[in-house]
Amino acid sequence: MTATTETPVAPVAPPPVRHTGRLGPVLNALAPFATIGMIAGGVLSILGAFLPWVTFVLNEGAYPERASLNMFVEPFGISGFRLHITLLGIAAIVIALVKVPAQHRIVRGLGVGVTAVALLNGLWILVEGGGLGAITASDGAVAFGSVVALVGGLVTVLSATSGGLEGRPEWEWELPWWVEWILLLVIFALVLLLVAEVLTSGGQGGVVNPYAGVVFLSLLAALAGAFSALNASGLLTWVGAVSERHRVFSVVVLLVCALALPFTGAGTEYWMTVASNIGVYAATAIGLNIVVGLAGLLDLGYVAFLGIGAFTAANLSGAAASAVGIHLPFLLVMVISAVVAGVFGAIVGSPTLRVRGDYLAIVTLAFGEIFVRSAQNNIAGLTGGANAIPNIPPVGLGSFQFNESISIGPIQLPSGVMYYVAIVLLVAFVMLVFGNLKNSRLGRAWIAIREDEDAASAMGIRTGPIKILAFLIGAMLAGLAGAFFAHKTAVVAYDSFRFLESVTLLAAVILGGMGTIPGAVLGASILFVLPEKLREFADYRLLIFGLALVLIMRFRPQGIIADKHRKAELAEDPEDAAKEAPGALPTEVK
Amino acid sequence: MSTFLSQIANGLMFGSLIALIAIGYTMVYGIITLINFAHGEIFMVGAYGGLATLTYWVPTAVAARWYFALPIALVAGALVAMLVAVAMERFAYRPLRNAPRLAPLITALGVSVALQEAVRVFYPGATAAIPFPNVFIEGAFVIPIGDGVVIRYTGVLLIVVSLGLAFGLERFIERTRMGRAMRATSQDRDVARLMGIDPDRVIVLTFAIGGALAGVAGVLYGGYLNNINIDMGFQNGIFAFTAAVLGGIGNIRGAVVGGLVIGLVRALGGQYLPGGTAYDYVWIFVVLIVVLVFRPQGFFGESERVRA
Repeated sequence: MTATTETPVAPVAPPPVRHTGRLGPVLNALAPFATIGMIAGGVLSILGAFLPWVTFVLNEGAYPERASLNMFVEPFGISGFRLHITLLGIAAIVIALVKVPAQHRIVRGLGVGVTAVALLNGLWILVEGGGLGAITASDGAVAFGSVVALVGGLVTVLSATSGGLEGRPEWEWELPWWVEWILLLVIFALVLLLVAEVLTSGGQGGVVNPYAGVVFLSLLAALAGAFSALNASGLLTWVGAVSERHRVFSVVVLLVCALALPFTGAGTEYWMTVASNIGVYAATAIGLNIVVGLAGLLDLGYVAFLGIGAFTAANLSGAAASAVGIHLPFLLVMVISAVVAGVFGAIVGSPTLRVRGDYLAIVTLAFGEIFVRSAQNNIAGLTGGANAIPNIPPVGLGSFQFNESISIGPIQLPSGVMYYVAIVLLVAFVMLVFGNLKNSRLGRAWIAIREDEDAASAMGIRTGPIKILAFLIGAMLAGLAGAFFAHKTAVVAYDSFRFLESVTLLAAVILGGMGTIPGAVLGASILFVLPEKLREFADYRLLIFGLALVLIMRFRPQGIIADKHRKAELAEDPEDAAKEAPGALPTEVK
Repeated sequence: MSTFLSQIANGLMFGSLIALIAIGYTMVYGIITLINFAHGEIFMVGAYGGLATLTYWVPTAVAARWYFALPIALVAGALVAMLVAVAMERFAYRPLRNAPRLAPLITALGVSVALQEAVRVFYPGATAAIPFPNVFIEGAFVIPIGDGVVIRYTGVLLIVVSLGLAFGLERFIERTRMGRAMRATSQDRDVARLMGIDPDRVIVLTFAIGGALAGVAGVLYGGYLNNINIDMGFQNGIFAFTAAVLGGIGNIRGAVVGGLVIGLVRALGGQYLPGGTAYDYVWIFVVLIVVLVFRPQGFFGESERVRA
C-alpha cells in the first residue's frame, strides 16, 4: 500500500455553477445551501424509513409472513426496503459532510436511489391499497413514511444537483499484486452474493407471494442508486482498471464465482432452471451481438437460429417424435446443431451482398417468419408442428443424467445443477469466442463495416464474405445454445421462436450495450429474470416491455454498458454529452 | 376456372386492404426514412376504435342500420387511429429525429408491442378474437362464369373505398400546396425548411393521414372478416410493408400495386402452390426477399438509393 497517490483528474466542484434549463432558477437559488440540503434530504430519508408506511393489510395475516414488504408500524425493526432507504440516507449524509471528489454526483446517485425505492413502494401501496386512503393507518396514526422518504429523496437529488455535478474522478492507485488479487476476490465474491440475493429476493413470485415483484424491483432500485453513486465516485472504473490489469485472474475468479452460485441461497431447482434459461438467451444474445453490435447488421429474425439448433438437436436426440431415429452423443449433437444453424445463417446473410440497412432488417424478419411458419406446419416432419417434439431425453454422462441432483460431500445440490454448470461453461466459451473475435482482424473488419461500409471496402476489406461470416458465426453460437435448450427444456415447439423472441433478444443486446460482452449477458439476465420475478404483473409484462424499449431508446440508446466506439456513434450530439458531464474529459465523449 | 376467378377476387380484396395500410408505411418512410413498425398496430387500433364506437357509444338502433353504422365506424376508426399515430410521432419518434438510425427502429418495435398489449389489457375481451358487427349490406352477388364466382358486397366496398382513398390522396399530394410541401420535405428536409416549410407540421400531417387510412382499413377489415383480434396488426403490417417495398417505397401508386400483388400472391399461392393455405404467408415473404435482392427499388422506384 505504498503508492496511494490520490490524483483525481477532474476538478472538484467549480464553486459558482450557473444552472440553466427549466429548473435553473430553482437550482441557482438552492446552490448556497447545497450541503445543508443534502444532509436534510438524508435525514428526511432516514426519518421516512422509520415512520410507519401503511397498514392496509393488517387484518389479513400474521406478521412477518404476510408482510415481506414491511408495511407495518414497527419502528427500529427495519429490514427490506426500509433498511435500504436508511443505508442510502446515511451514506448521503456522510458523503455530504466529508469532502470527497465528485461529492455532489455521488449524493445525487444515492438520492435517486431513495426516490426510486420510495416511489416504487409508495405507488404500489397506493394502488394495491386502493387509493390515497391507504396512506392513513387504521389506528389513526398517519403512515407518512412513503411521502417523507420520497420528499427526502427529491430534496437530496435537487440539492446535490444545485451544488454542481462534477466529472467522474479517475483514481490511479496501484497496490501490490497480491493485495489487488485479494481485493478482486472479495469484490467478485460480493458480486456473487449480490446476484444470489437479487435472484431470490421476494421469492418465486406469482400466487405464492404477491409481493415478490415489488420487493425485487425495490431492491433493484436501491442497488441502482448505490451503483450510480459508486460509479460517480470513480471507484467502479478503478476496479475495472484493476481487473483489467489482472485479466486472466479476474476471468478465472468470475468463472469460479458463477459456478459457485448453486452453493448460495439461489441453489434450488427453480433458480437453477431460471439461471439455465438466462444462460441460453445470454449465449444467443452474444451471437446476435456479433451480427448487430460488431458488424452493424440488424437482424430481426435471429431467434430462428436458436430454433434451428434446437430442432436439429431434438431430431438427433432419439426422442420418440423425432424424424431421424438416431441418438448421437450430446457433444456431437452440439457441433452438428451449430453447423446446421451456421449454414442457415450464411443463407440468411447472403442478401447482405445486395441489401443494406433497413431493407436487410426486413429480409431477416422475412426469413424469421418463414422459419416460424414452416415449423408451425411441421415442415418435412422435422418440427412436430403444433405437437412440438416432446420427451427429449436429458443429457447423460455415462450413467449420470444431467437432470438428477448431485451431492458433493455433505452438500446436496439441487437437480438441474449440472445443466447450470454446463450452460455457464457454454456461455464462457461463447464469451471467449466473442472476445477474441472482437479483437481480431476479422472483428476490426466488422467494426469498420459497421462504421462505414464504403470506406471499409476502399481499405481493402472484402465486405461481402465478411458480412456473411458475421451471420454464419453468430448463427453457430445460437445453434450451440439451441442444442442445449432442446435438452434442458426437453420439449421444442415452434412457439418459442416467434418474432417477439427476436425483439426481446435484440432488446437484450441494446439494453446491455451493443458490442460489449457483459452488456449482452446483463441485458439477457434483466430481460429474462424480470418476467420470472414479475409474475403478478404478468398481464402488463409486455406492455411494460414495449414502453421500456421506447424509454431506453429515448434516454440511454447506448445501453447500460456502453461500448467506446458505440458511444461516439450514438451520442446525439457530442456537445450535449459534454454538457451533461461538466468537467469530463473531452476524450471520454469522443 | 371459377375457383381461379374467385381467388383473383379474394386476392384483389385482401390486396386493396393491404394497399391502404401500405400507403401509411410508404408515406412515413418517404418523409423520414423510418420503417414505422407500429403502423400495423395503428391499423389494429383503428379497428378496435371503430368497434368500440359501435358497441358502446352508439345506440343499438343506429348501429344496426348499415348506412349509419358504416360512416360512423369509418370516421371513428380513422379518428382514433389518427390520434394514436400523431401521439406516437410526437412522443416516441420526434425526440429521436436526429438519433442514429437504429434507435427509432427499436422504438418503433417498442411502440408496436406496447400498443398491441395496451389493447389486449385494456379492451374488454380483447384477449380473444372479438366479433365485428356488420357495417355494410350483408350477402353477395354471383357472376355466372363456370360454377359461378361469389363476390361479397363487403369485398366490393373494400376495393372501392381503398382505391378511392388512394386516388384522392395522390391528387392531394400532386395538386395541393400542402402536398407540395410534403414532397419537398421528403426530398430534402433542410432545404424545405429554408423554403419556409415547417417540417414538423408536414411530418405530423403525414402520420395523421397514414393513421387515418390505416384506421379506415381496420374498420373495413373488421367488416369484411367479421372478427378482429390483436394479432391482426403485426401480420398485416408486415404484408403492407412488403407491399410498400414491392411498389417502390415512397410511392403511393406503387404501394397500391404492391398491395394488390401481395393479395394475389397470397390467394393464388394458397390455392395452387404446394403446402396450400398453411404456407400462403411464406410465399409473400419469399416474394419480398426476391424483390429486395433483385430489385430493391421496387416496381416504381426511381433509382436505387444507397442506404447505409
